[in-house]
Amino acid sequence: MRSSSYPVMPVLRTMAVLALTAGVATAVPASAHAGPVTAPAPPGAAPTADAPALAAKPYMGWSSWSMQSSKYPGLNPDGDYSYLTEANVLKQTDALAAKLKPYGYEYVNIDAGWWRDLSWKPEFDQYARQKADPGRFPHGMKSVADRIHAKGLKAGIYLPVGLEKEAYNDGKSPIHDAEGCTTGDIVYGDLRTTNGWDSAYKLDFSKPCTQKYVDSQARLLADWGYDFLKLDGVGPGSGKSGDQYDNVADVAAWQKAIAAAGRPVHLEVSWSLDIGHAADWKKYSNGWRVDTDVECYCNTLVSWENSVDDRWDDTPGWTRHAGPGGWNDLDSLDVGNGAMDGLTKAERQSYATLWAIAKSPLYTGDDLTRLDAYGVSLLTNREVIAVNQGSTPPARPVTPSDAQQVWAAKNPDGSYTVALFNLADEPAAVTAHWASLGLTGKAAVRDLWNHENLGTYQDKVTQALPAHGSRLFTVTPRGGALKATAYEAEATANTLAGNASVADCSACSGDHKIGNLYLGGSLRFNDVTVDKAGTYLIKVAYVSGDARSADISANGNKATSHKFPSTGDWGSVESVSVPVALKAGSNTITFESGSGYAPDIDRIDVPQSS
Amino acid sequence: MDTAPGSHPSRRRLLSLAALAGAATALGPLPAFTASAAPQRPTMAPAPTTGPHHELWWRAPADEHSMIRQGLPLGNGRLGALAGNDPGRELLLITDATLWTGGLNGTLDSDGQFPYSRDDFGSFTLLARLTVDIPDHDLSAVNDYRRALDLTQGLVTTTYRRSGTTYRRSMFASRPDDALVLHFDQSGGGSYSGTVTLDGTHGENVKGLSFSGALPGGLRYGAAVKAYGSGGKVTVDGPRITFTDCRSLTVVVSGGTNYRPDAATHYRDPSLDPERLARTKAGDAAAHSAATLLRTHVADYRALFAQQDLSLGTSSAEQRALDTWERLQARARDDAPDPELEAAYLQFGRYLMISGSRGSLPLNLQGLWLDGNDPDWMGDYHTDINLQMNYWMADRAGLSGCFDALTDYCLAQLPSWTELTHRLFNDPRNRYRNSTGKIAGWTVAISTNVHGGMGWWWHPAGNAWLCNSLWEHYEYTRSRAHLAKIYPMLKGACEFWEARLLTTTLPDTGEEVLVADSDWSPEHGPLDAKGITYAQELVWALFGNYLAATKELGKDKAYAETIDSLRERLYLPRVSAKTGWLEEWMSPDNLGETTHRHLSPLVGLFPGDRIRPDDSTPKAVVDGATALLTARGTESFGWANAWRALCWARLKNADKAYQLVVNNLRPSTTGSNGTAPNLFDIYEVEKGRGIFQIDANFGTPAAMIEMLVHSRPGHLELLPALPDAWATSGSVTGVGVRGGFVVDLSWRDGTPTEVRIHSVGGRTTTVAHGSTSRQVTVAPGASVTLRGFDR
Repeated sequence: MRSSSYPVMPVLRTMAVLALTAGVATAVPASAHAGPVTAPAPPGAAPTADAPALAAKPYMGWSSWSMQSSKYPGLNPDGDYSYLTEANVLKQTDALAAKLKPYGYEYVNIDAGWWRDLSWKPEFDQYARQKADPGRFPHGMKSVADRIHAKGLKAGIYLPVGLEKEAYNDGKSPIHDAEGCTTGDIVYGDLRTTNGWDSAYKLDFSKPCTQKYVDSQARLLADWGYDFLKLDGVGPGSGKSGDQYDNVADVAAWQKAIAAAGRPVHLEVSWSLDIGHAADWKKYSNGWRVDTDVECYCNTLVSWENSVDDRWDDTPGWTRHAGPGGWNDLDSLDVGNGAMDGLTKAERQSYATLWAIAKSPLYTGDDLTRLDAYGVSLLTNREVIAVNQGSTPPARPVTPSDAQQVWAAKNPDGSYTVALFNLADEPAAVTAHWASLGLTGKAAVRDLWNHENLGTYQDKVTQALPAHGSRLFTVTPRGGALKATAYEAEATANTLAGNASVADCSACSGDHKIGNLYLGGSLRFNDVTVDKAGTYLIKVAYVSGDARSADISANGNKATSHKFPSTGDWGSVESVSVPVALKAGSNTITFESGSGYAPDIDRIDVPQSS
Repeated sequence: MDTAPGSHPSRRRLLSLAALAGAATALGPLPAFTASAAPQRPTMAPAPTTGPHHELWWRAPADEHSMIRQGLPLGNGRLGALAGNDPGRELLLITDATLWTGGLNGTLDSDGQFPYSRDDFGSFTLLARLTVDIPDHDLSAVNDYRRALDLTQGLVTTTYRRSGTTYRRSMFASRPDDALVLHFDQSGGGSYSGTVTLDGTHGENVKGLSFSGALPGGLRYGAAVKAYGSGGKVTVDGPRITFTDCRSLTVVVSGGTNYRPDAATHYRDPSLDPERLARTKAGDAAAHSAATLLRTHVADYRALFAQQDLSLGTSSAEQRALDTWERLQARARDDAPDPELEAAYLQFGRYLMISGSRGSLPLNLQGLWLDGNDPDWMGDYHTDINLQMNYWMADRAGLSGCFDALTDYCLAQLPSWTELTHRLFNDPRNRYRNSTGKIAGWTVAISTNVHGGMGWWWHPAGNAWLCNSLWEHYEYTRSRAHLAKIYPMLKGACEFWEARLLTTTLPDTGEEVLVADSDWSPEHGPLDAKGITYAQELVWALFGNYLAATKELGKDKAYAETIDSLRERLYLPRVSAKTGWLEEWMSPDNLGETTHRHLSPLVGLFPGDRIRPDDSTPKAVVDGATALLTARGTESFGWANAWRALCWARLKNADKAYQLVVNNLRPSTTGSNGTAPNLFDIYEVEKGRGIFQIDANFGTPAAMIEMLVHSRPGHLELLPALPDAWATSGSVTGVGVRGGFVVDLSWRDGTPTEVRIHSVGGRTTTVAHGSTSRQVTVAPGASVTLRGFDR
């Protein structure tokens, strides 16, 4: 799948740095750990009448990794990743409590390195468990958690998956509270490695001692009072695939261990998790990083191209997996200080918009003591936070993933959350057609970022957006439902060319779709009839396990290429709306693969009016 | 004047040439940037605009980094700007046509050609950069954004809403007030707070409201800004103007250089202080309300713009609902005619000409507009097609007055060109020197600058082409004053060729003919070829024009006879038996690229008249020209497509001509050839890198008019190449006609319904449509209206 083969450049770069500075290839962590609320319900459990105790909503807070990983002047004066200290964490805790807590931000997440010194040399207790580095955390990890709690906040911590190599100790270290078990009893005999950096020995859960090791780690974190754990380097994902890097059992063991320890701990897994295992992540965790690190490992915290903008392409496949109990984690939200973030105002707003509507956890990696006014306005906009934290579903694209795109979600009250994005490098107008929401006529538009009712718009709203810019609206229908005529792709009246062929599809209307649209394959709908000439928003139902493009044309005119966002797998149907110029009477509409691969097409719905 | 060419020009003769050209200049317009009389201020509001088809509009502002593709051009003929129209940060990149680096460039390189760099030859560069920051109006926070260029008023507007207020911004370049004017207004109780900043682009020290600078070539320049508001406060705050809570705001910018189009003063006016003058002008203008300034501007602008109206048919409501960029894309995608867009494209060309060619230097490769100080090819004057093409439209489009900038430029450069020619052309290192050893008259290099200098390679036939362009303007206008001004240029060019032509004997017929010495058919094929068609055709036309000029002016009879006898003996190109094409190099072989951009061997088809698709030209020659044109194809750079379209219009092939026009309307994406969002023509220099080159913005409209009206002295042809897309019904007014007429024409179903022929000096012409032809006689100043072409 996409995520497993996805290059993880920042992390690889980080590894090289670490190898140089520490002389050992070790885990580069990035995360934190926490646990709130009361009832220790299994994380990620399907929502029932009782809301899940953990991750009922995407969590909000702060993480240390963005500043740790940055070369921004002054942040890491004592070497790479040296930002992570007790003093800095507590400074950010105070700032979070003062500035952001009133808006729902509550987690303070300590990411990788808390058990490693400035040269990245680890500390373990006698039971092979990570131990606070006294240089960074002179009062130990419990003290930090206590002080975070004292501010009414929750504490998060971080661990890499597996038994870290440095903790192995020739297999001799005893496992806490597990008589007769040593580190030699929890790994494979061949000491196979695992995780995204191969920095740990893979745990062998067929051995009875192994769960006890994870239990002992969970117990320690619970004793310290942590409310959140980021388990990092988890596969399939983290740039790895194959049995050796399959850490589903680890995550399951962590869920079990947390339950046994008795303290509710939110379990977040990282990074670039394999979407093919979405069911596992949902079952055993409260959230999963869908993509590589958002940080740029450069002179700022992030940059637009590396890799904030990846999220628009990589998120849609995951959308339907998000919900109470477990959320799609897009990584840190670094929009609080333009100079430090390395982003334009427009980019920062778009970043915050996508995170909000995708219902990603909202944790910033900014220096909360140095937020600028615009950053504060982005992080504390209650209307936008409500989109993220409310009962609305996550939005997904209702247009193709072109440079100008529209995402939307239908809200329980009948309104729609609608985001306009211009991902082009120059200003452009972006239009949200009510037809792409299944609506016709008028609708009222409220601008959430600017707290302004814009009035009522007929059929569509168009706004000029800056380069990499966005708008976020609530659209309340004042008209009716769009009437459309459906044309099945598999209808015999259509013309197939190249390798295109009919395939079974249980999720599709008519139980069939047209597949094999590749290398010149095409599907032509032959008799699409409309009364009047005009540009029609054709709703295309399709299946595509990865993002693919199709060339769409009408009546033999020049085709327009559109990129269809991934539907996440080859069994799920999604739809987007595409403008097509039709003439009065009968038309042909053609989908062609061009020289690449196009999505499978289920059906098109053609509105009865343009 | 001594008409006998000699190998060494006498000092006396050079001086007399300079004096003559200087006198001509003195009679012409004032120097580029100068104090001017108080403008006439109309008391009436300008007439309302005539409809949405004269408006170009967009739904998004320009990107600061793509101003050349997206900025909207403004200009008063000399002072220009590209405007970005971002609500939160207005940006104007300001130019003055005369702000050039470089100098005379009078020392040849070791190959006998001219240096061609920004330091020695020089480059057109920016004058200033104006920003108006309004932080509260960030694009992400405003609604229903729209910007438009109203071609009928020469006015750029931007509107948007924010918090219940509608904000409106308008800007224009006023010729009467010699300033750029920006006016910010609103309705709904809103206000403006922010800063105005004027910066130079050459590292000037900006003191606040103005700055000055001097380039190494000695040119001095300056610019100044003034602002006033209503309601709030406007204060000068260090290097910028701060405005706070203003209900409205007006910003005025003026600027210029001490350029003087006079070789005798080395193209400088040492007494002129550009910064002081800019401050005076900005201050004078700022003493008036924005409404008054606008009225003054519109009255001035409309006097020109209204000279031509055009309808090519009606577009659909669907097409009208699209903004200009979407419309270009839809036009290309659906291959469906959009007659109003196509007419607007032509009118945009007219807008550019009015904005960029009045009272100063002529339109260069980028017209008057820049987004940086390193334009490709220096933004110079290319004399091997591009400069000429810039002015093909002027007379056809009712903008004869805009042509004068080209005339004035050539006349002001002539003394220097003459001096350089005499001093340097026969340099033994110059491969193009006259093998006769003689030198006379003047010529140019492929590139010319504004300092009397030349760049790149010598271009012997460039003198003939420039002269032929100037002569054509006379044919349109019948202006004796113009003819008298250009006569010395024509004569000097004839003298140059008299010294240069070689006698040769054709091997097959034994005929003795005159051919041009070694030369390069522009940018194509062998570097040293004798008798290239390009030179033969241009010189043949030059000699003919000169002969006509001597008759009109009653001058130089003896020399006219000399030239006439040379013309009789000029070799004219044959059709190759091998390729079937009109030959380019006195060779039956194809020595170049089949689809090369230049149509140099077809200068006799267009802009020349020698090759005509009627009985006056041997059919074999017409066929050979047609075959060559066909081989050149329909996919090239914008200017090359425009030239092709003009040639096909001359051959009365409407489909081909229209296809080439449509090809130029294709939206340019990622640097491809075609039209940018702001309708500037984009030239793909290399894959993925497109630059702005303005010639197609004028050449394409010229072709569109040529498809509707063809003329040569004594002959007027209606709708010679009317495409189906425009045939249903249409009209055009104010079309200049060679022979001294102006024509208003309307048609229906492909046939003229009415034509009004107004004489501006002409007396008689045939008027043809299809196979019909009639003779018309009109007294100068009078008009005649003809109907009944469908019978």
